[in-house]
Amino acid sequence: MTQQTWDEVGGLLPHDEFRAASEAIVANIEQVIEGKTATVRLALAVLLAEGHLLIEDVPGVGKTKLAKALARSIDCSVRRIQFTPDLLPSDVTGVSVYNQETHDFEFRPGAVFANLVVGDEINRASPKTQSALLECMEERQVTVDGVTYQLQTPFMVIATQNPIEMEGTYPLPEAQRDRFTARIAMGYPGPEAELAMLDGHGAADPLQELRPVSDADTVRRLIATVRQVHVADAVKQYAVDLVTATRESPELRLGASPRSTLQLLRTARAVAALEGRDYVVPDDLQALAVPVLAHRIIPTADAQLARRTTDAIVSELVHRLALPQDRKRTQYDAPRPATGNGRPPFEPRRP
Amino acid sequence: MIASRNLGFVAAAATLLAAAPLSSIFQRWTWLVQAAIAVAVVAGVAALARLLRAPLWGQALGMLAGLLLALTWLFPGGTELVAFIPTPATLAHFGELMQGSAQDMRSYGVKVPDTTPLLFITVLGVGAVAMLVDLLAVGLRRPALAGLPMLAIYSVPVAVYVDSVPALPFVVGACGYLWLLVTDNVERVRRFGRRFTGEGRDVDVWEASPLAAAGRRLAVVGVALAVAVPLAVPGMTGGLLDQFNSVGDGTGNGRPGQGGSPGRIDLFAALSGQLNQSEVAEMVKVTTTESSPFYLRFGVADELRPDGFRVRPPNGRRVDRDLPGVPARQGVAQQRHRATVEVSRNLTMPLVPVYSDPVDVDGLSGNWLYDQNLGVVFSNRDNSRGKRYSFEYVRSTFSPAALRRAPSLPAEHPIAVQQTRRPAVQQVDLLVSRLIEGKRTDYDKVRAIYDYFSRDNGFSYSLSTKGGTSGQEIVDFLTNKVGFCQQYAAAMAWLVRSAGIPARVAFGFTNGTGAGDDTWVLTNRNLHAWTEVYFDQMGWVPFDPTPAYAVQGANRSAWAPDSDAPDPEPSGTSAPGATPDDPGGSAGPDRPDAADREVDEGFDPVTGAPVRRTPTWPWWTAGGVLALLALLSVPALRRVTLRRRRHAQPAPAAVAAGSGDAAPEATGIVVLGADRDRARADAHTAWDELLDTLVDYRVRVDRTETPRATAERLVRDALSDDATSTAAVRLLGRAEERARYARDPLTGEPLHPALRSVRGALAARSDRRTRLLAALLPPSVLLRWRLAVAERSSWLVATGGQARYRLARWSPRRLLARRV
Repeated sequence: MTQQTWDEVGGLLPHDEFRAASEAIVANIEQVIEGKTATVRLALAVLLAEGHLLIEDVPGVGKTKLAKALARSIDCSVRRIQFTPDLLPSDVTGVSVYNQETHDFEFRPGAVFANLVVGDEINRASPKTQSALLECMEERQVTVDGVTYQLQTPFMVIATQNPIEMEGTYPLPEAQRDRFTARIAMGYPGPEAELAMLDGHGAADPLQELRPVSDADTVRRLIATVRQVHVADAVKQYAVDLVTATRESPELRLGASPRSTLQLLRTARAVAALEGRDYVVPDDLQALAVPVLAHRIIPTADAQLARRTTDAIVSELVHRLALPQDRKRTQYDAPRPATGNGRPPFEPRRP
Repeated sequence: MIASRNLGFVAAAATLLAAAPLSSIFQRWTWLVQAAIAVAVVAGVAALARLLRAPLWGQALGMLAGLLLALTWLFPGGTELVAFIPTPATLAHFGELMQGSAQDMRSYGVKVPDTTPLLFITVLGVGAVAMLVDLLAVGLRRPALAGLPMLAIYSVPVAVYVDSVPALPFVVGACGYLWLLVTDNVERVRRFGRRFTGEGRDVDVWEASPLAAAGRRLAVVGVALAVAVPLAVPGMTGGLLDQFNSVGDGTGNGRPGQGGSPGRIDLFAALSGQLNQSEVAEMVKVTTTESSPFYLRFGVADELRPDGFRVRPPNGRRVDRDLPGVPARQGVAQQRHRATVEVSRNLTMPLVPVYSDPVDVDGLSGNWLYDQNLGVVFSNRDNSRGKRYSFEYVRSTFSPAALRRAPSLPAEHPIAVQQTRRPAVQQVDLLVSRLIEGKRTDYDKVRAIYDYFSRDNGFSYSLSTKGGTSGQEIVDFLTNKVGFCQQYAAAMAWLVRSAGIPARVAFGFTNGTGAGDDTWVLTNRNLHAWTEVYFDQMGWVPFDPTPAYAVQGANRSAWAPDSDAPDPEPSGTSAPGATPDDPGGSAGPDRPDAADREVDEGFDPVTGAPVRRTPTWPWWTAGGVLALLALLSVPALRRVTLRRRRHAQPAPAAVAAGSGDAAPEATGIVVLGADRDRARADAHTAWDELLDTLVDYRVRVDRTETPRATAERLVRDALSDDATSTAAVRLLGRAEERARYARDPLTGEPLHPALRSVRGALAARSDRRTRLLAALLPPSVLLRWRLAVAERSSWLVATGGQARYRLARWSPRRLLARRV
């Protein structure tokens, strides 16, 4: 297998440029969202991983602000959909209307025809409307009246929602949830951050003064760079182990999908790149397991009765799962200690 | 009910099997028929009582009554009603039979004939045992306890045969006991219904129960231990085999001595008994490379008490190890020869005959010991019957001149002290002082005494005299001057001792009739006794004072010519034979006469100390301690070598900028593939070493942690404020992480100094016990070994289980039934 060198790949960013571009975006967003660096970086990682982001938290912690700040920081087309209970699928995808002048139907693109789509309060629309997003989120295209329209690149849906326990919300369908790469929670700001917020937001909305620090082209190059991040076999094995563990966990009714494995690894690449590494380590996967996996899985009735959240289940799995030990050995290695057939002496019995 | 009936039948049969040892006592099998009848009656009554749902005491009473009826029928006294209803007169008759049996026991030896009292007591005993077994096994459902009455039967032959108990009947009895146990257990298990494995699979009747696997393993371990421990413990070897060898033995027919310890044999009594027998029995066949050997000897009597010469319990070392050599002596011609001895079945002694000074013995087990002082080969538990062995020996030929040169033994020499001890008999002392008057050397004194037993002085040979070697008997012999070999030998030894020279009596065979090819056949007529005299620097020198004309196969030597021969000068033709002993090892009197200690003595290596053997236990203790230390240091050594090997890995080469044979997957930086592999291996090695160090210092190692997380945890918990080691452990974590997951491993970093720094920091923060353990018994090595053992044993169990399952398909028991 011949792999390209850094110089041969067009559009890739050198290490320092990548760092500068990504740090600029993060710093820009942080002007608006104080004290949430990890969340901001994760949001950016999802963008660079070509995924979609679901921000779930109680009202008033800055979900929409984060979405808008991310959108404004990048100079690209941004559309916003306010999901209301009476929203129709055609409002999202677009609709063909009869043009009396041309005596023909012409397509009016919906809100999804943009680089960044901010879907506010997504779980207040009915599942019928939400299913309009299914095609565009996964396949990056919209089919209306038999005509398929490609969406632009980059394409990212940033949705916000209240927890399902809040009033006036519909649960997202499993298929829809599975299309979101990561679900993040904002969490309350720390006391200092809240004080700073009072100072900053008191006079004027800093969001209005936010200027783009990047553009779609730069983002495309960032994405291309992220794709080149090295993933060792052991890390791939670990990702598969992790996803398999969710499928075999006795507490879960529905495990994570193969799509989630892909997205987990992709996001891990982005996180690694944002940290300035050109390789993924299992730590990335461990850190991402809860945001990427927890919203896709469904606990069993017993686990629900025991008030076990999916976050807790996934983080426990991460803590229980051993790292793959079969690393590559060379002739310089010390001889392996005799361990027989390589299995642990007593294999855990599978249910 | 069916189960109980079946169990009752098995109990009766097991009782009969357990009675098998009685077969070694009776000449005929009448007892078995009668005992079987009694047992059958007892078992039948018990079954009937259970059928009528009688309580336990009812069953016992019923069986007692049944036994009484059976005994009445079998041993009628003449006053019974309807042949088997006992009357008071019958009981009185039984009482007579009991007394008669006690008398018969005293009057008859094994094997006993069928006398009515003995049969009565046997049937009564077996019937009582059958009752007890039935009550315990069926009534109380405690079949294990039923083994006790069964064992009681076996104790009868044990009591009768002192030294060798037949083992085969015991095996039969044990089989009966096992049968009883198995039957009971099967009944017990079947009460629960079907058998199934832990996984819920049904177990066919032909399959061994998996629930009993632990028991089977315990049994195997127990049997293995029971066999291995006696083999491992010296001195207990051969016990089992000897028991099998001696099945049916113990008739005691015509053997000299009473068996048991070789120290308790009256060799004199045995000797006179054998010589007086009218029939000639072949005893020993010996083949030697020596043309005219001196006497074959097997015993020595060197303790002179008022009632005569007595045998001391010998002690010595095992003959299957190296025997002490014979030191070269001035004026003594020494030649090595080889002899093979076949002992016939007529000679049963705890001693075997050898020529003097054997140096190498083949064909005798470790049960046989060699006493260097006495020059005898003996055993505390085996006997000579039917033995065949060969040995190499040193034949010393003394010259009168050399013996004359030998100085007198100092009076305080232990041999002189012990071997000249004698009761004071005035006539003897007077005679000796008269005989040795004017003689200067020891040899001349001995020759004077030796020559005194000649025809010229009126001595003659007769077997008809009374044996005995006590003081009065010696005086009688010296007065009557008629006797046979034992009196001549004892008298000369006594006289020589009176002269202040050590002397003792030796027993053995004269040379018998030649059967060609240097083979000699020795019979009971060749049994002989002679005198051995101790000369300083020469050892024990044999003198045979018995008149040569009367002894078949007598052999005279140059230093002790036939005193009756017309020419006293040594004849050049026949001059072999002498038995010197190593004066170095002769510390007999200093040794305690502990017959039970020979085994330990037999273990001692040859030290060659002049008089007293240096105690060897300090060496053994030191060696044991050293071996223990060596064993204990194995884990530490293993740890050290592992660390050395890891440190000895070639240091990672610097990043090479060449592009000649660059690894193709390198992007950006071009690194030589070999160097990259090496750096990777180096990082792995360093990480392995770090993990082992963590295990050693009892820091948790988590398999779910990434190298980075492990390093951070160490920084957080273990290496709190040490900047160097903190940086070092982070470096190690980074190196391992990059070696595992990155395209390019970390190169050119000082991993080994980092390791050292981390180890130092860990050692500094752990307590002394942990440090000591990490150095002496590294937990990492122990853990790895334990895991390997667990791995291996689980593999063994798995493969063993598979093999057993496959084998079970061929078991014929599967034909019995489909399912139970």
